[in-house]
Amino acid sequence: MIFASSYSPILYLGPVPVYDHTVAQWLVMIVLGVTAFLATRNMQAVPRGLQNAWEAIVQLCYDFFGGVLDEHAAKKWTPILATFFLFILTSNYIGLFPGSATIHGFVPPTADWNTNACLALIVFFTVQISGFVAHGSHYLGHFISPHPAFLPLAIIEELVRPLSLTLRLFGNIFGHEMIVSFLVLMAPFLVPMPLVALGVLTGLIQALVFTILATSYVAAATGEGH
Amino acid sequence: MPVGRNKRLVVSVLLLSMVLVLGLATSCFGSEEGVPPFPDYYKIGWTAVNFFILFAILYKFGYTPVLNMMEQRTTTIESSLRHAEELRAEVEQMRREAQNNLSESRKEAQDIVARATKIAEESKNEIIAKAQADARLEKEKALAEIQAEKEQALTELRDTAASLAIMAAEKVLGRALTDADHQGMVKEFVKEAGDLLC
Repeated sequence: MIFASSYSPILYLGPVPVYDHTVAQWLVMIVLGVTAFLATRNMQAVPRGLQNAWEAIVQLCYDFFGGVLDEHAAKKWTPILATFFLFILTSNYIGLFPGSATIHGFVPPTADWNTNACLALIVFFTVQISGFVAHGSHYLGHFISPHPAFLPLAIIEELVRPLSLTLRLFGNIFGHEMIVSFLVLMAPFLVPMPLVALGVLTGLIQALVFTILATSYVAAATGEGH
Repeated sequence: MPVGRNKRLVVSVLLLSMVLVLGLATSCFGSEEGVPPFPDYYKIGWTAVNFFILFAILYKFGYTPVLNMMEQRTTTIESSLRHAEELRAEVEQMRREAQNNLSESRKEAQDIVARATKIAEESKNEIIAKAQADARLEKEKALAEIQAEKEQALTELRDTAASLAIMAAEKVLGRALTDADHQGMVKEFVKEAGDLLC
């Protein structure tokens, strides 16, 4: 929870500071990496248990992104888009674990806009790269379409996208964390529970919104419109 | 300018304003308990590194094995369907062959029965004909024997009758008959006796 975190580094790796959000990201990586490894280490033709669940998640991602992107683009860009979704979803849920209010550093990485800005920048570069991969140098044409006078607006549009992604995710998760933290401080017993439950929904919705928008940007860049 | 783009422009300007306001607020009120400082290049760098490591891990252990498994499953299902179709065709072919064999066997069995019936009929006729021929031969042989016995009996009877007649005549005449008498009497007697016997 946000009050258990600090914006100062909690340790240094040489000259590089490590923050509680970074540690939380490592936790997210371990959770997702270990889950993926355990689910796929001994794959069976008839899936069971964890393999079944993991396959369902991956298949859901491929189906979902395949519905927005064309088949070729979906195959190419689904892995990174699915990683966005899983990373943000797990990050959002980190703060909901029991005891996260008292464990130092147990804070959703997405409650820090540095994390979200980085993710949004990765989306920005992914969109530009996907556009170039799909259309080559013709991709640049859409910046001056239908008239070169629109170039500044097109550039602003491209730049505002990561900004909107950052602020939307940060605002929702940080706001939720703040409210829950205040409630925990004021009335720690039962009162914050509805908002914590709401956090489950918020976390999922924000992960979905971020990923859907990123997918639509990639779809616009790789589509036939350019 | 398209309406969608206009809307996005307005939203973008609004968001930009929000960023400025929030940034101002952060710079004014930013503290350990407030909004996290921005930009923190170490945090951004850490996030990028962590995200791409996670992406690599998930790509290797999360997505690729599942895709391979699904591809393998698709191949297996396709080959199973193809195999099942081949088996179905094979079974259909075998069923047709079995049906043909059954028909042929039935026909062959009917032929065998017909042939056997014909052979049995011929054998029966042959046996009957042979039996009839044998019976005829036996009958003819018996008749011939009867005839021979009859002839023999008649001859013996004639001889005996002649002797008896001679003896009787001698008794009646009280003398011996000449050869000429004998001859005449015998002949007459034999003739009469033969007529009587026959």
